[in-house]
Amino acid sequence: MPEAAASQSNLYSVSPDPMLNGGYCRACGYVFFPPQNYGCEFCGAPPEKLEPKSLKGEGVLSSFATVNLHQGQGIETPFTVGVIVLDDGPAIRAVLTHKTDQGLKIGDRMRAVVVGGADDARGAPTNELRFAKQETRR
Amino acid sequence: MKKTLREMRPVYVVGIGLHRYQRMSETPYVTLGLTAVREALRDANIEWRAVESAYTGTALLGMAASRPMLRYLGATGISMAQVENASASGSTAVRQACLDVASGLTDVSIAVGVDKPGPVAMAPAKTNIRDLAGRYVVPFTHFALLANEYMNRYAATAEQVAAVAVKNNRNGANNPYAQRQKAVTLEEVLAGPQISGALTRLQCCPVGEGAAAAIVASDDAIEKLGINRARAVRVIASVSRSERVYSGAKNFDAELTRETVAQAYEQAQISPNDLDLVELHDAFTIEELLYAEAMGLCGEGEGARMIASGAADIGGDCAISASGGLLAMGHPIGPTGAGQVVEIARQLRGEAGVRQQPNARIGLAHMVGVGAVCVVHILQKAA
Repeated sequence: MPEAAASQSNLYSVSPDPMLNGGYCRACGYVFFPPQNYGCEFCGAPPEKLEPKSLKGEGVLSSFATVNLHQGQGIETPFTVGVIVLDDGPAIRAVLTHKTDQGLKIGDRMRAVVVGGADDARGAPTNELRFAKQETRR
Repeated sequence: MKKTLREMRPVYVVGIGLHRYQRMSETPYVTLGLTAVREALRDANIEWRAVESAYTGTALLGMAASRPMLRYLGATGISMAQVENASASGSTAVRQACLDVASGLTDVSIAVGVDKPGPVAMAPAKTNIRDLAGRYVVPFTHFALLANEYMNRYAATAEQVAAVAVKNNRNGANNPYAQRQKAVTLEEVLAGPQISGALTRLQCCPVGEGAAAAIVASDDAIEKLGINRARAVRVIASVSRSERVYSGAKNFDAELTRETVAQAYEQAQISPNDLDLVELHDAFTIEELLYAEAMGLCGEGEGARMIASGAADIGGDCAISASGGLLAMGHPIGPTGAGQVVEIARQLRGEAGVRQQPNARIGLAHMVGVGAVCVVHILQKAA
């Protein structure tokens, strides 16, 4: 799906660890990502009932796929996309820091990191939030 | 009081036609569409002036596709409209035509699916909602992620998933309307090129051009126009749904299919065991396993074993993708859902030749579309 720009600026903040800018419905408690202010997908509550909610950039890898063929400006293959079930609830999709799936397995702990990403529509480099396998705590 | 299609006036598929699905060519969409419509008219043995409304399923052609095509059958002044519902556009056109007849608005209506590849503006990209991986996840990667999750959960192998492409290409090799008409071995499917995750090229459907047409009619029209009743196939369920937020469910694609198909079974008053053939949205191999399970054709996680057993082959308990499915017949988008109804009608009449599923009585057509939507029809052989 083509997008005009690669900007992720409204999707995360860094303070000091990367946090995802999710949303929360005061009417039904539904937690969601990516953020939007149109209405609650779960219960239909209007925008006034929605509020921002920071989601910790940590979770569990529930699937991944290494992509070898992809058409998109500034995107080089191979790259690997993962589904991460955040500790704070939502399942999200993100590009992983791992170019290939070597060493990855479903169930791995993952954490968000900010890296230099694909160029934007004008060819300027951008930062992107990606996920990396969390090193086992000793 | 609300009514289902089954409780309204009976609707029958009485005429079917196709233009072969093929790689993009110089052929205008008008020629593709008219080829399918004229074949359907000949099949029903009726004239265009008997048709009272027309729905054109198309997602890629752009605004106002119907009349610039259908006027060349003789401009009779009938109601015409385009139906865009992503990959389910053709299925939705069939549903609209059925509803016209079932409600009594018309006695004869036609659904035409026609498309050619081309640049398309995607509304979801205009919602101003960005996602982390939006630029990186196209449909084949969406399904590669589901494939990996499925293989991990049920200890299924890449070979078992790829076997779907072997079966469907074997069927497509016997379908003169299919885009891919060549049987392939498991080794050829697995040989690549590797597209995304476990999915190789032959596990992804070809998107080309083509057309499909289904004429539907009432009992009154069958009588009045002298249509052969023995070849009329009744539509006993039509259900269209969209995705909900399924709390706790891992796979929203499968859940949407599960609840749409369940409604269709209830409407048709059948169970999965009654199905003799299914045409489903096998744009990628993994989808056939996910949807076959969601339809109750086998238990959860048993899809791969069912394919290996031959139960989904032509001649098996329930032939899946006897046409070759999207994987072999192709997925030209607008035509695909209408083309499924064409295949099922042909099979239920016993006119599918070497692809014939023996003693086929009941068939189900299933499409999903980006968004996400799901449209299901169940058809039954004339008594």
